[in-house]
Amino acid sequence: MDDLYLDNIDEFVNDHNKIVTYKWLSLTLGVHVNTAKQMLYHYLDHKRKESSAQVHATYLVSGKFVDNGQTGHRVSVVREDQLEDVKSRMSPIVSVHIYSVQKALLKDSGPLYSVDYDAVKDNLQNCSRYGAVRCSSAVPMSSLELQQARGARQALPPEPEQKKSSANTDTNVVSKPPSKPQKGIMGMFASKAAPKAQESSRDNKSEQEEAARVDPVQSKPARKPNPGANFFRVQTSKKPAEEKTSSSPPPAEQNLLPSKPQTKQEAAAVEAPKDAKRESRSKTKRVESDSEEDKTEKKKRRRIKKPDPDSSDEDVIPDSPPRMETRRLSPSPEKEIPPVTRSQCGNIEGKVRKRRRVLKSRAFIDDEGCIVTVKDYESESYSETEDDVQATRQAGKDPVPAKPAVSNKQEDKKGHKKSSANANKGAKQASIMGFFHKK
Amino acid sequence: MTTLTRQDLNFGQVVADILCEFLEVAIHLILYVREVYPSGIFQKRKKYNVPVQMSCHPELNQYIQDTLHCMKPLIEKNDAEKVVVVIMDKEHRPVERFVFEISQPTLLSIRCVHVDVCFCFCCCSSDSLLSHVEQLLRAFILKISVCDAVLNNNPPGCSFSVLVHTREAATRSMEKVQVIKDFPWIVADEQEVHMKEPRLIPLKTMTSDIVKVRKLLAAERLHDVI
Repeated sequence: MDDLYLDNIDEFVNDHNKIVTYKWLSLTLGVHVNTAKQMLYHYLDHKRKESSAQVHATYLVSGKFVDNGQTGHRVSVVREDQLEDVKSRMSPIVSVHIYSVQKALLKDSGPLYSVDYDAVKDNLQNCSRYGAVRCSSAVPMSSLELQQARGARQALPPEPEQKKSSANTDTNVVSKPPSKPQKGIMGMFASKAAPKAQESSRDNKSEQEEAARVDPVQSKPARKPNPGANFFRVQTSKKPAEEKTSSSPPPAEQNLLPSKPQTKQEAAAVEAPKDAKRESRSKTKRVESDSEEDKTEKKKRRRIKKPDPDSSDEDVIPDSPPRMETRRLSPSPEKEIPPVTRSQCGNIEGKVRKRRRVLKSRAFIDDEGCIVTVKDYESESYSETEDDVQATRQAGKDPVPAKPAVSNKQEDKKGHKKSSANANKGAKQASIMGFFHKK
Repeated sequence: MTTLTRQDLNFGQVVADILCEFLEVAIHLILYVREVYPSGIFQKRKKYNVPVQMSCHPELNQYIQDTLHCMKPLIEKNDAEKVVVVIMDKEHRPVERFVFEISQPTLLSIRCVHVDVCFCFCCCSSDSLLSHVEQLLRAFILKISVCDAVLNNNPPGCSFSVLVHTREAATRSMEKVQVIKDFPWIVADEQEVHMKEPRLIPLKTMTSDIVKVRKLLAAERLHDVI
C-alpha cells in the first residue's frame, strides 16, 4: 500500500479537482473509514511538507460545547484555519479527525454533502460496509419480510421514530447553537454541522410526518386489497412521499449522519444499535423502494407529462383505432349483416334473386377487384343492359343494402379487399360515390 | 408515427425545461462562488437533491428568470448555440466567462472563460435514465462550486451579464418577438465577447444515455490574470 494511495489521492485532489472526503475515499477505495482518515491525514501531512500546491482541509471536531449557558455535544465540520478556535471552545474534545481534503477553498458546506451524495447513492445497500459502527443484529430484511413490514408499518411507525429522535438528542442539541448567527466562515462551517444535525433531526421529524403522510395514502389503497390496487398503491404512495420532501434521499444520508457522531461518541454507542436497527430497517425499506420506484416514478412523470401537452396527439390516437375497427369489422361482416338482412327483407326478395344470378355469371369474368361489385349494383337496379358507369351513379343510394348482401354471398369467393371496401361503404354512404368515381 | 412526433414535440420542451432549470441553478451558483454578489444575499436551497446557493435578492432573481424565460424558446428550437455568463470588472472588461454550449439534440456544452476553464458534460437521454441526467447535472453543480480552485480571484466590483450566441438567423426572429415586454435582447459589444489571451482548462466531461438525443458539453475557460 504505502505511497500508492498518496498518488491516488493526489490524482483525485489535484488532477480531478475533487473534494475528497474520508467517506468518499473509503467507498471508492474500499477501505475502512478509519483507514481512509489516516490516508487523508498522511496525504495532507505529505503535502504540507512538500508545500508545493495549496491544499485545503476540513476537520470534524466533536466534544462538549457550552453555548449561551447551554451545554451540548457538538459535532462540527470546520475548516482548518478555524480548527484551533473550535477546539479551544470545546471543553472535553471527544474526537478530532480529518474530514476532507480539496484544492478549492470551500465557501460553504454544501459541496461536502454533494460529494458524498452520489458515492453513497451508488452504495446504498452497503454504504456502512466500511463504517466503524456495527450492529450484528441489524440484518437487512428479505423482500417477503419487507412486504409484511410495509403492511405493519401503518400501525407501527410513530413510536420508534420518537425514540429515535430522543436517541439523537445529541445532534439535536448541536443543531441549536448554530441557529444563532455565528461569525464568518466559522459560522458557515459550524452550520455545516448544524444543517446535518438539523437534517437528521428533521429527518426524524420528517419521518414522523412522512409516516403520518404515508399512512393516509397507504390506508386508502389498503382498503382495496386486490393485487392490481396493490400495484398502484406502491406507486401512488411512493410518489407523494418522494415528492413532498427529501424523504427518500435522506434515508441514505440519514443513516450516515447519526452513525457519524456515533463513531465518535462511544457513550452514545449503547443507544446506537437500536437506532441502527431501526434505521437499517427503515432504510432498507426505502432503499429498495427508492431504487425501484425512482426509476418507475421518473418514467411515470414523463408519461404523465406526455399526454398533457399533446392533447392533439390524443386526438390522433383515438382516430386510428376506429379505423382499425372498421377494417377489423369488414372481414367478419357478421355485425353488418343483420342490417343487411333486414334490408333484404325490407326490399323485394325477387331483386335479390336477380342479383344473384347476375353476380355469379360476372364474378367469374372478373373475379378480382371492385369492378365485379359494381356490376352487382347494376343487376340490382335492373340496369343490366345499361353502362356500368351510369349504373354506379344511380346505384349510389341503393348500394348500401345491396352491397352487403352481395358481400354476404360472395365473401367466400372474393378476397378481403373487397370486403373491406364493402365495410367502408357500409360505414359511409357518401364515400361510396367517391370510391366508384375514381374507378 | 404519432408516438414519434409526440416525443419530438415534447423533446424540445423537456430539454429546454431541464436546461433552463439547470442554467438558473448554475447562474446563481456562479454568482455565489465567484463572489460577484456578497454571500449574504444567498441562501441554501436544495436542487438535484444537493444543497445549492440561491440569491434572495428579488430583482436579481427576476433578472435571471426573465433572461432564462426569453432564452427558452431559443433552446426549444435549438437556436441557441451558447449561453454565456460573463463576469466583468469595473471597466466592463470580461474577466471570466462561463460558457454553456448548447447543441441539442446532439450536444450541449458549458464553458467559462476569464481565464478559460472547460467543463464538459454530455448526456443522451432515454426516459429510464432521467435520474442519470440529474446525476450529471449534480456533478456539474459540484464542479462549479469547486471551480475557484482553478480560477483566480476576481477583482472587486465585478458585474455580470448573460450572452446568448444564436445560430444563423435566430437573432432576427428574436428581435421581432419579445417574449417579455421591455426585456429585449441586444447585440453584445465586441469587448464583452472577446477576451485577451484566453486559456482553456478542461474541468469536466461526462457522457450518459439519458435523452439519447441530447448531449451536454461544458467548458469553462480561464486565462491567466495579469
